[in-house]
Order: sequence, then C-alpha cells, then structure tokens
Amino acid sequence: MIKTSNIEIDREKGNFHYPTSDYAFDAGIGLSEDVVKYISGVKNEQDWILDYRLKAHSIFKKKPMPTHWASKDLENIDFDVIRYYLAQGQQPSRTWDDVPEDIKNTFERLGIPEQERKFLAGVEAQFDSEAAYSRMKEDLEKEGVIFVGPTEGLRDHPEIFKKWFGKIIPSSDNKFSALNSAVFSGGSFIYVPPGVKLAQPLQAYFRINAENFGQFERTLIIADEGAEITYMEGCTAPKFETATLHSAVVELVALKGAKIQYITVQNWSNNVFNLVTKRAMAEEEAEVRWIDCNIGSRLTMKYPGVVLRGRKARGEVLSIALANDGQHQDTGAKMVHAASETTSNVIAKSVSIGEGRSSYRGLVKIPGHLKHCKNNTECDALLINSESQTDTYPAIAIQGDDNSVQHEASVSKVSAEQIFYMQQRGLNESEAMSLYVNGFVNDLIREFPMEYSVELKRLIDLEMEGSVG
Amino acid sequence: MNSSTTHTKNMPIGFKSPDFFQAFSDKRSWEPGWMADFRKDSWNRFISIPKAKIKDERWRFSPRARLGYSDHDQLIQSPKQTTLSEHDSDKIVFQSLDQAILENPSLLTKLPSHTGPQLGLEETFLLASSFAESGFVLNVAKGFSEEESFVCNHTAPTKNYSLFQQNVITIEPFSEITLIEYFDSEDNESSGILSNLSHIHIGEGAKLTRILVQRINRKSTFHHLEKVELSKNSNFTNISLQLGSAQTRIESRGNIAGEGAEFNNFSLSLGHDKQLFDQRTIQHHIAPHGKSNLLFKNALLDQAKSIFSGLIKVDPYAQNTDSFQTNRNLLLSKDAEADSLPGLEILANEVKCSHGATTSKIDDQELFYLQSRGISKSIAEKLIVLGFFEDIVSQCGNSKIVESLRNEISESFNN
Repeated sequence: MIKTSNIEIDREKGNFHYPTSDYAFDAGIGLSEDVVKYISGVKNEQDWILDYRLKAHSIFKKKPMPTHWASKDLENIDFDVIRYYLAQGQQPSRTWDDVPEDIKNTFERLGIPEQERKFLAGVEAQFDSEAAYSRMKEDLEKEGVIFVGPTEGLRDHPEIFKKWFGKIIPSSDNKFSALNSAVFSGGSFIYVPPGVKLAQPLQAYFRINAENFGQFERTLIIADEGAEITYMEGCTAPKFETATLHSAVVELVALKGAKIQYITVQNWSNNVFNLVTKRAMAEEEAEVRWIDCNIGSRLTMKYPGVVLRGRKARGEVLSIALANDGQHQDTGAKMVHAASETTSNVIAKSVSIGEGRSSYRGLVKIPGHLKHCKNNTECDALLINSESQTDTYPAIAIQGDDNSVQHEASVSKVSAEQIFYMQQRGLNESEAMSLYVNGFVNDLIREFPMEYSVELKRLIDLEMEGSVG
Repeated sequence: MNSSTTHTKNMPIGFKSPDFFQAFSDKRSWEPGWMADFRKDSWNRFISIPKAKIKDERWRFSPRARLGYSDHDQLIQSPKQTTLSEHDSDKIVFQSLDQAILENPSLLTKLPSHTGPQLGLEETFLLASSFAESGFVLNVAKGFSEEESFVCNHTAPTKNYSLFQQNVITIEPFSEITLIEYFDSEDNESSGILSNLSHIHIGEGAKLTRILVQRINRKSTFHHLEKVELSKNSNFTNISLQLGSAQTRIESRGNIAGEGAEFNNFSLSLGHDKQLFDQRTIQHHIAPHGKSNLLFKNALLDQAKSIFSGLIKVDPYAQNTDSFQTNRNLLLSKDAEADSLPGLEILANEVKCSHGATTSKIDDQELFYLQSRGISKSIAEKLIVLGFFEDIVSQCGNSKIVESLRNEISESFNN
C-alpha cells in the first residue's frame, strides 16, 4: 500500500499550471499569414526564414488530412482555436536564478534542475513557445559543441545549420511538418564537431502551460564525422478540458562514422494531439538510434525514420507504447535503405489497457541495386482487457536478389497462469499485472539510461493501476 | 448456348454505355426476370461507382492501370463455357451458370445479397454481377462425401475481350468434397481479361478443399474475387497455384462466422518476365473459437513483382481465436520486387495471433551445395524453388494430386 500512495503523488506530477495572463508576446488565436509574420517578426528573423515559413503555410493549407489511412480523430483538431505563439519575452537564462519565478517553479516541480545536477551535460527547458533555460557544461562549449534554439542557431551559426535545416524533412513532407515549418518556435539546434564524444546526455524538456496552445518546436542535431551524442527529450502538459496540439519536427544528421542516440519519453496529458515528424539521415558507417517511449497523449502519430544513405550505415528504432482509456498510440518506424551493406532493426512493443488502442505502422524499403542490406522488425502487442485494441500495419517493399528482410508480429494477452503464479507468492492482482507488463517491455527498457528506466517502470506501474478487477 | 441473332458486330462498346447493357440484355433475353433484374441492379450500381481515389490503401503498391478494363471493355461474343466433371448422384448439383439459371433458380436466390470480398475491386464485382456469362453452380446436399474430386475448367477470352464469370458454391452441413479449378487460355497469343467471382458457403461441420491452378497465358489479365462464409465447425482449405497471366489480382475474404470454424488459405505464385501478382486477403474472425492460417509464397524471377496485403481482423466477440498469417518471398533476380503489407486488427484479448513476412534471396550455401554436386545453377535454382513451394503443395493430402501440382510448377518453370 505504501508503494501505491507514492505513485499517486507522481501521477499528478505534470498536472498543474500557473495562470498566464502576462504573456508579452501572443500571436492570438487561429492561423493566418499574419500570425506567421508576427512570429517571424518577434524573432527578428532574416527574410529567407520568413519566406520559408510563408511557403510552408501555403503548403499546409493545401495538404489534406491523411485520413485515408490515419485515425479520423484527426478531424477533431480545430486549427482555428489554437494559439500558435505565446512567450513571456524570456531569453533563455544561463542560471536557474534568472528564470522567471512561475516558470522556475514549474520546472522545479518537474525535477529538471535536480536531474541536471545529477547526470546531464546540458539542459534546455522550453515553456510554451520559447526556451526559459538553456545551459551546457563549459568544457563542451570549449570543444565547439553548440546547443542553442533554432532562432539563435540560424542567426548565429548559419554556416552550420542552414545547410541541413529542412533538408531531411521538407515542409511538404506531410500536413503537420508543413504546419511546424510555418510556425516553429523553440527546440534544440545541436552541433557536435568531428570526433567529439559526449559522455553525458543533453536534455530538452518541453512544457505546455497554456490552454488551447500549440507547441511547435524544431530540433536539428548534426553529429559531424566520428562524433557521438545522446539526446533526451521529455514532455508534459496539464490536463485541460480542451485539446492541445503538439507538432514537432526533428531532423538528425549523422555524418560519416557518427553516432546519435535520441531518447523520447512522452508523457503528455490525455488532451494532447501529439503529431510529430522525426527523421534521421545516416552517412557511411554512421549509427542512428531512436528510443521512443509513448505513454501519454490522446492521439500520438509518430514514425521515427532513418534514411541509410552511406555504406554500412545502421538505423535502429526501439519503441514502447502504452495506450490507456481514451488513448490511441499510433507509432512505428520507417527504414529507407539507400546504400549497400546497410542494416536496420526495429523492435516495437505495445500494451493496450482498458479501451486503449495501439497501432504499429512501419515502412521498410530496399531498392534492387543495393547489395547486402538487412532489416529485422519485431512487433509484440499485449492486450490487457477485453476492450483493448491493437493493430499492425507494416509495409515492406523489397527489390533485388541480395537483400533480406524479416518481419514478425505477435499479439498476446496476459497469461492467467503466470498471474496466478505471482498471486500465489503474495502479490495482489494489480501488482502481478504490473510486474507482468514490466517484464514484457523489460528487454527494451534496459536500453534506456538508468534514470529513465527507473522512471519508466514507475510510469508503467501507474498506468497499470486499476486496470484489473 | 443461346447465342442470339440480335447480337451483331455492331454491338456498342463500353461497359458504361446504356446501349451496351441493352444489347447484352437482349442477348440474354431467355433469362428469367429475377436474373435480369439482378443484372440491371448491379449495372446501375456499377455506373454510379464514384471515381477511384488516388490514394486508396487497398491499392497500395499496385500498378492499378495494368489491372483496368480500359482497353478491354468489350465482351467476347461467344464465351467458352466452364466445363465440369460428371458426377452421378442426386445429392449434388454441378452445372454451368446458364444451366442453373434455367434449371435450379432456387440455388441462385441469394445472389443479390452477396457482397463479394470488398478489398478494392468493386468494379469487377459489379461487372461480374452484371455481365456474368459463364461460371458454375455447385451444391452438395447434407451429409454427402466423395473421394473423387469435382473438376472444372475455365477458359480465358481471346483478343482484348473480357469475360465475366460467377460461381456459387454451397456445401451443406456435414458434407466433404474436393474441388479442383483450372484456369487456362485458348492459345498463347490472346490477351483478354478473365474476371472470376466466387461465392462460397460452407455449412455446419462441412469441409471443402479447393485446389486452384491458374495457368492462363502470360499476356492475359486475371481477376479472382472470392468470399467464403464459414459456418460452425466447418473447414475450408484453399490451395492456389498462380502460375500464369501477365497480371493477376486476387481478393479473398474468409469470414469465420460460426464457432470453431477453420479457414486455411495457402497460395503460391511463380513469376517470370514482368508478371504481376497482386494479392489481397482478409481473415475475419466474427465468431469465437475459430482458427485461421494463411501462407502465401512468392518466387520471383526476371522483373516479376508480387504484392501481398493481408489482414487478420478479430472482432471483440471472437474470443479464443487462433489466427496466423505468413508471407514468404524469394527474389531470384535483382529486378524482382516483393511488397508485403501484413496487417493485424485485434479487438479481442483471448487470442493467439501473429504474422510474419520475410523476403530474401536463395541461400548461397544451398546453391553451392547443389552446384558442387554437378548440378547446373539454373537447375539448382529450380530445385530450390520447388522445395520452397513444397509445404504448400503437400497441404492437399492426396498424393496423386500433389504429384500433379509439382509437375504444374515444374513445367511453368521451364517456359
């Protein structure tokens, strides 16, 4: 019982917000060209960025919703009631002391400064549209590592970022990447110089505080030749009555021999539409690994991809999704092989609880002129209750006589025998269920950094609570 | 039969033209009114089909234009009828569609309520309902079983013509038979479209094993639509050999509508040249305690292409379902292509479901082993492909049939 009460406190961890009438910059409600111009103006952007935004805005207006394959729930998003830009005029502070009181309190309650002291090499904390805090250890700065927001990145380091910005995911990729390209604000632009290996992860924390708000952060990570970086992002929002939209674009560039590991723990509240486009490009012998964990949100649609462009490049997606009542976790992976001897691996595990629905959508593509490409995909789904739903929709397009692909998926339910066994040993049914689910995802959770895997196990315990009996 | 004198060379062209339909109705004026009404209804639905959407998941990866009727919207004037083996028993009806319309209309009363597989080719479904001039009706009375197989031969039309067929197969409770269907062409030069639509109903505790051998010439198009309704404790096993045609589209729906029913769907395709095999299936579990198993194997040479799109759907009520789906593709050339879309939609929790899809080339070691024993590379490849298909061929149990199927594949490989 003691354990349960601990958990109760945690569940409400993200569910609070401070009244926000004093935003210095507010683009108003709804989307128009003026809103796009307003955002660009606030940021004092160069003309090419404004042009890029306006072009993306017109693409967004033209593109239909992808409801011919995706959930009809998308039609419930009302783009006209969303606020696209809200900021208190804050510049990212270098110390927590300079962060405005209410924002600082928010992140204190979420435990970000504490985590930073403990195990992070750098932190950026985004509050609604802009970062409130951004700091990285000084020795990394000396080595030439850049860790800034998109506004600073494109303004101060155009020679590095302009070349890749919008190249991995063009505005026209899909309706939501177009939306993000039009109104993006906040996010991380990171550059790791050749040969620099970051021993500790960089972290960004995204927080939605205002109601009816849309968060559109933009992330671009470039790991130069032989560089290595681990990046983590976390997200929360309070539980509002109305729907909130989070639509990010994340582009990763791993140059020759570089390694990027990108870890997401998404714990949005159940009113958030989480529609994110994530894609990486891996050059020769580079390695990109997406570790993606989706616990919160109302509807998540996210299919991290890797374009394997150089010989011997490797892509990996490890994904965990938990869908509870009222949630649809529509996640997956895309592996596009564009060079010989490339390999990719996808392991996706999903748990559907109550009336929750989890879907896996995948794409694996290998053209015929390539040699020795390999893909392995495994999807396992666990159904807890009789109303739970799971779907699997992979698409595998393979040409040529020198490549091999295997895909396997299975659906199972919790074994009554094993639950009975645990109950025999004195666990109650919900503890047994929790242990079972933790066991189901355990081999993936082990891949996470320690602090995260502990947190994840706790979140799973939470979600499992009250799911039986 | 009944080729009418009103039918002349001046028959209007185009399935959508009212004159065309009128001319067709005149040609079939010997039919009873209920059949004419059914055709008219179907044709009216056909002409009001909305324009195809550009993005339709049911057509993903499919070169749709290759499967259309645009160059073929004319019916063959005197279609070759399906020929059937003879069976001397009053417990069975096994006759051509035309004969059944006149002699056993009661077996066709359900025609208007059939919905077809609904996996993308609504056009073919409605055209076959409107213009079917060939096909067969098989009705097996309760408690009948026979060792000897029922055999029917279908013939594809010649020179840019289309032929539509409709088959109605009803196996009444506790009967057990084997049906073999052959699809051939009259010659090797013609390039028509054969569109075949089957409605299969398996009664309680009944069992149907159906073997399908498709060896139409490599210029023709083949559409095969099939919906199987399985009652309580019934069993349907399909073993298909897709060897011929330039392009084939298969749509197969198995509804496990009765408790404890079992649906086995096995198919192999051997692709040469630019052959296309576009295969769409669904295993729909409506009732509890059902079993289904699907295995589709494609071996592709030259520039051949296969698409496999399969869905296992388990309704909330269909608890204790075991359902499996496997797609294996063997690519033997660098221009061959295999696309896989295995899908699961599971709404019940007491289930065992899985799917697997693999695409690979021939194992170098296996090839080397055979070559080192003096077997030429091309023969070694053929042997390996025959071995690859063996687990499908061997499913039909009867050793004589197994042997003949092996020969079919072997012959197709040589051509």
